[in-house]
Amino acid sequence: MSAVIETKNLTKVYEGGRRGQDVHALKNLTLTVSTGEIFGYLGPNGSGKTTTIKMLLSLMFPTSGSIAILGRKDYGASDVKRKIGYLPEGAYYPEFLKGEEVLRYYGQLYGLHGSTLEKRISEVLDIVGMSRARKRLVRGYSKGMRQRIGLGQALISDPQILVLDEPTTGLDPIARKEIRDILIRLRDEGKTLLISSHELLEVELISNRVGILYEGDLKAMGSITELLTDRDVTLEVRGASPEALQRLTAKGIQSESQPQGVSLLRVPNTMSVYEVLEYCKNEKITLVSVAPRRETLEELFVRVVGAAQNEKKG
Amino acid sequence: MGSFLRSTWTISVFTWREGMRKKTLIGFFILSILTIFGSSVLTAYVAPTSGTSTPSEIESKMIKDICLTTISIFGVLITIFISASVVPNEVENKVIYTVLSKPIRRFQYLLGKFIGVQLTVILNLVLMGILFCIAVYSKEGIFPSLLIWAILLTYCEFLVISAFTFAVSCSATSAVLPTIGGLFIYIIGNLTEYLKDVANRVGESTVLADKIVRETAYWLYMVLPNLQKFSLKNQVLYLSVNDPPKDAQIPQVIAYALACTVVGYIIALWVFRRKEL
Repeated sequence: MSAVIETKNLTKVYEGGRRGQDVHALKNLTLTVSTGEIFGYLGPNGSGKTTTIKMLLSLMFPTSGSIAILGRKDYGASDVKRKIGYLPEGAYYPEFLKGEEVLRYYGQLYGLHGSTLEKRISEVLDIVGMSRARKRLVRGYSKGMRQRIGLGQALISDPQILVLDEPTTGLDPIARKEIRDILIRLRDEGKTLLISSHELLEVELISNRVGILYEGDLKAMGSITELLTDRDVTLEVRGASPEALQRLTAKGIQSESQPQGVSLLRVPNTMSVYEVLEYCKNEKITLVSVAPRRETLEELFVRVVGAAQNEKKG
Repeated sequence: MGSFLRSTWTISVFTWREGMRKKTLIGFFILSILTIFGSSVLTAYVAPTSGTSTPSEIESKMIKDICLTTISIFGVLITIFISASVVPNEVENKVIYTVLSKPIRRFQYLLGKFIGVQLTVILNLVLMGILFCIAVYSKEGIFPSLLIWAILLTYCEFLVISAFTFAVSCSATSAVLPTIGGLFIYIIGNLTEYLKDVANRVGESTVLADKIVRETAYWLYMVLPNLQKFSLKNQVLYLSVNDPPKDAQIPQVIAYALACTVVGYIIALWVFRRKEL
């Protein structure tokens, strides 16, 4: 797979002015996003995600380091930009326009016109599921519909690369699922997607690879399967006394009380499950279920960011 | 080239369509229309009957005075308001990100926005001007060609104010600072003749303070746009409305307006070209 987006030692420093301190928004960021993958770009607020995206789109300029898009160092050139679709977080679409007019406006900015543009507008409205609302004013759109139209404007030129900033934030679960399905379909069509998001479950479900940024530093990057290696086994038990649970905790097993006398025991992969099962049998604790469990992206995120915060503290 | 012009025009039309829906602008426009309409009714009651002029002449002069002042004040407010807000508003609501991430160059974006602003200003001015001409025509019964020249030069004045307000707006994050800047340009631009007077009155004095005042006044006079060049108000008030403009070098004044506009646009571009969005 060839690199579609490539940054090398990308650094962004905001000058603090005469008295203020310089802010290092991005520190030597080196990352690669390859053809046909969904790359989840994660990080807490202010970690430098949007700064990176803005630099990729020439809305901001790097202090040092380099960017190449589709192998081109002149990534701000019109013919490169023609191949990129961008959905910013919380963008506004003029309320006096109809859905199809919004797409027409952005299509014209890409140099499309006439029947080519009209055909593309219909295709995109189909892709984002807005064909029936094409004649309605944006003023009457729900948040989910606005987000779909936003996705539509990003797709209007049939770009090879899609850069999406928080595409599902604030949407209800149905709308979120629908947007997720659209993104997976786009990836399957061979498009490359860079998604910045706080919705970690969404990212985990659709991304091939993720990068976790903290205060401008890339703290982790890799495929989901590479990064989420921490596994454990969860035992669902009933009838465990508080004393028995305390003894398990002392052995390094996390327990979590559930309704109706049920407890969840998390056995780390460093321990033998059989040993815990034996203990339960001896303590007359009823076993309800045994299930292997993989670490979630959220847990990885908390672990990586937590470690970075501790490192910073000292 | 075709694609460049088409995309620029797309931005202009969009800016114009959006501009015409701004409530503040609509408010200014309605007030100006009411004042222009009301001038005919008002003058019939308040026109004095003494002096050498006939009541009809005085009434006509008052209508012209009220209408020109209305067009000038509301026109400049509309111009400043729209010029000051188009770019900062797009930054604020993030529309600019979706536009500049497309194959649109920054100077093209600014050009499209500026043309869109001019379309809005021109449409408002034309509507106000038509009503003004109707009010005068209904009073005097002759085609008021002088008013058309006066309105054209008023637009030239708005063009210059718009260009400099637009330049300030490109460095601002909200419309407040450029609005203040635009009002400042309007006020100072109408006072530049006084700066020349100041320089002349100080004369050849060799006192250091006088020299500083003279040089400062002279350089400000040279650098600041002189908006008084665009006024035909006295001629409109005292000449017949179908007279040609006298002593006004219309082509030179228009060229001056265009030169000031180009300077304003270049400043805007210089500020905006490396602006971090």
